[in-house]
Amino acid sequence: MSAAETNEAAAETKPKVTDFELAQRSAAGDREAFEELYHRHFRRVYALCLRMTTNPSTAEDLTQEVFIHLLNKIGSFRGDSAFTTWLHRMTVNHVLMYFRKSSTRSELLTHEGETPVQIVRGTENAGKMPVVDRIALEKAISELPPGYRSVFVLHDVEGYEHEEIGRMLGCSTGTSKSQLHKARLKLRDLLRRQAAQN
Amino acid sequence: MDCEESLPLLSEYHAGALDDTQLNGVRQHLADCPPCCDVYDDVESIVVSASSLRGEEGISFPDENAVWQRLEFS
Repeated sequence: MSAAETNEAAAETKPKVTDFELAQRSAAGDREAFEELYHRHFRRVYALCLRMTTNPSTAEDLTQEVFIHLLNKIGSFRGDSAFTTWLHRMTVNHVLMYFRKSSTRSELLTHEGETPVQIVRGTENAGKMPVVDRIALEKAISELPPGYRSVFVLHDVEGYEHEEIGRMLGCSTGTSKSQLHKARLKLRDLLRRQAAQN
Repeated sequence: MDCEESLPLLSEYHAGALDDTQLNGVRQHLADCPPCCDVYDDVESIVVSASSLRGEEGISFPDENAVWQRLEFS
């Protein structure tokens, strides 16, 4: 076995440094440790920012901001929860803060009437909604009003419970449930329109 | 229960979060109303498809090394 192969084998058997250890070292000023954390979590953070904003450029900017914020706050990570969970929550809060600050997206909730879809017997298109593929769904999500999109992404994509979404958005659990339902109905409408245009 | 009463409850019906009275009302209405049944089926399809979006598949990522270099502190 060559020296390089020996080193590689040693690296493979060496226990991986945990996120908690890296966080502690980062808090103590170890930039290499923080860079390791960055590379471990960059894709997850960017993916979440992209899902919530649907804009690659904005997602990249927010990802940078999240990691700057993370460096400032990393000393407060006590390891009570998984680092990924802690960072995920931090990322969500940062994106929601962006929505709050943005002049064009000043509201975290969408107010679009109480019944976005009404069914009148005999007038509903008899054709079923087409099978929902990833690309069609992503396109439809990007067309949702930001308030609906936030709740839909947090609940149906990221798996948050309504209670937690309510806390993050500053609304009641009932409002979160209502926004989610309206978001789903709006998506249904958008997907059917997409299908009709194709 | 009619369409107007049932429609707002379909997501909670799907989540199994309705009380018995509402549950039976929606269930009976769906049995009699194909349009609302279509809405319910579509909601279910959207929920199933949405869960497949979690994670990193299908995303075109920027160069993470370049982003790292642009971080103000690096």
